[in-house]
Amino acid sequence: MAPRVVIIGLASDFGCQVQVTNMEDHLLDVLGLMDLAYWQLASSGHLPDEYDVAVIEGAVTTAEHVETLRRARQTAAVVIALGSCAVTGGIPALAGTADFDSRYGVVYGDGVQVAPGRQSPMPISSVISVDYHVPGCPIDPSEFVGVLSRALMGLKDNMPQDPMCAICKTKENVCFLDRGYACLGLVTRTGCGAKCVSLGRPCSGCRGISPEANIAAARTVYADKGFSPLELDRLFDLYNAAREAVL
Amino acid sequence: MTTLTVEHIARIEGHGTITVEMESGVVSDVRMDIVEAARFFESMVVGRRFDEVSLITSRICGICSPNHALTSLKAVEAALGIEVSERTVLLRKLLLYGSYLQNHATHLYIFAAPDFVGLPSVFPLAQTHPDVVERALRVKKTGNDLTTLIGGRPVHPITAVVGGFSAEPSVAELRAMAVRLEALVADTIATAELFHSFEVPQFETSGEMLALVDGSDYAIYGGEVAALDGGWRRPASEYRSFISERVVGHSNAKHSTVDGRTFMVGSLPRINLSAGQLMPRAAEMLAKLGIEAPSRNSFLNNVCQAVELVDAAERCAMYIEQLLGIGGSSKPESFSVHASSGAAASEAPRGTLYHAYGIDDDGIIVSGDIITPTAQNLGNLEADMRLFAPTIADLPKDEFILGMEKLVRAYDPCLSCSVH
Repeated sequence: MAPRVVIIGLASDFGCQVQVTNMEDHLLDVLGLMDLAYWQLASSGHLPDEYDVAVIEGAVTTAEHVETLRRARQTAAVVIALGSCAVTGGIPALAGTADFDSRYGVVYGDGVQVAPGRQSPMPISSVISVDYHVPGCPIDPSEFVGVLSRALMGLKDNMPQDPMCAICKTKENVCFLDRGYACLGLVTRTGCGAKCVSLGRPCSGCRGISPEANIAAARTVYADKGFSPLELDRLFDLYNAAREAVL
Repeated sequence: MTTLTVEHIARIEGHGTITVEMESGVVSDVRMDIVEAARFFESMVVGRRFDEVSLITSRICGICSPNHALTSLKAVEAALGIEVSERTVLLRKLLLYGSYLQNHATHLYIFAAPDFVGLPSVFPLAQTHPDVVERALRVKKTGNDLTTLIGGRPVHPITAVVGGFSAEPSVAELRAMAVRLEALVADTIATAELFHSFEVPQFETSGEMLALVDGSDYAIYGGEVAALDGGWRRPASEYRSFISERVVGHSNAKHSTVDGRTFMVGSLPRINLSAGQLMPRAAEMLAKLGIEAPSRNSFLNNVCQAVELVDAAERCAMYIEQLLGIGGSSKPESFSVHASSGAAASEAPRGTLYHAYGIDDDGIIVSGDIITPTAQNLGNLEADMRLFAPTIADLPKDEFILGMEKLVRAYDPCLSCSVH
């Protein structure tokens, strides 16, 4: 029997689910490998009581999300975190500052109270254990297919661990950091093929901080280039404001 | 009293719930609850640098990210007094149209079409109607490939920066894309004919209709805001003077009014206000389908999206020819950072999108304001639901629910945008 797969969205822009539909050339082949039992974005129907694989996109921001995650963990043999929001908290975590509650007043007007059950946006690993990770904002669809295939075959997660810089050098890109631009390639998890730098933009850290990065040494390098510790933390915050939850 | 709810409506972007209350068979209330949690983007950009805004706001929406990225870039450029080159404008229009092709194709084929053929999703059609699914994926893929060609990837463009582009496609790549777009016109015409063949109810919205207009082009990248009934035109940068937003209890999305009325934005209002600017084969298609602009039938928004697909394929092939002819550069213009504020609008696939920012002398954002198309539409959608529900209240429950869902999907709502 084909494995029953569900795709669940928490707080996100749905961009990674959209990227799954963006595998136009392979979408039908990939769908043929599984029984896609629930996908709110693309199909009518309810989340079933039983399934094998839960693909979860988005950050955790409500008590309902926490409950959804706990149930998914109890039900599924395999949990896959899809995209930066789920893996690291991503851009949503940028709202997760000490003054989180005051954001209601800023956006909705004075006197608007925090919604019941709301919490600062966090990665899904802050609530449940995660078996496979597809980082990136947005994900690369082919990386998702690779991870899904590994999950369906029972192979271990092989999320890239090294910093992005080394692969960037092999692309013969001119180094942004050397030119005084704040590029986070030195500390960011690789696997993107240095796409942004190759297109003329510094790395902003969307794939999360590499566990192999030497952060202390990197801080010295950035300081030499004129970036203060405070400015560096501000840069890290863009995609990794919840980094303490994942490092 | 009986209460009907459709929780987490399928095949829309985001999480929403329809609630219909009935009193002895008569509809007494209809609500569209946006259960998507508030996301606070307007407060998240505060404290970030002006050149990070488009990176952040792009993440409001994974389906129309180029529209958020470019509208925020335009607002920052308006603040800093940056004029971009004609070449940059053409490239940006192509980037927006890539988003249109992808968005409209996704909505029409993946989200809406299953309603009209009695299926839960489009996937079973791959067996029974492979030609239709292949066509759907061709249109969608061409949109994604156009977005990727200009922006670097289908979702969250990389190359669009303050003042221009950080990289450009080659002439050969552009030429090849123009050939594909020209060939795509036939697929988009078939799409319009397919959606015209789906029967929609006779219905009239009670709301106003707004869209950008531009005397010389189909207004996607910019223009003035025009009101269909009001007959007025106003500068888009002054949107706060004519659009009122209010917080509603059952939704994390604010509702909007103009001149005291709910209003609609999107493909139908655009065609109502700019039918004269459609490319020849799109105009021909509109006439052939018998849609007389202005129309007030909200359900026709879908077929209008399909007409815009025809227009987009033709128009982008033309833009590429223009781009190959003009030369010039899209390298970012030079500028100085100073305390200022700016606002801008564009037409996103679902309607007019407004962004405004305040910047301090160090280039740090001090205020942000965004109104998304769906936030503008939600009040009008609810008003339409209240008008429409009683007309189908005697149908069996499943058909009643399908009817209500069809109306919701006609608006192509993006709920994660609406709670930005």
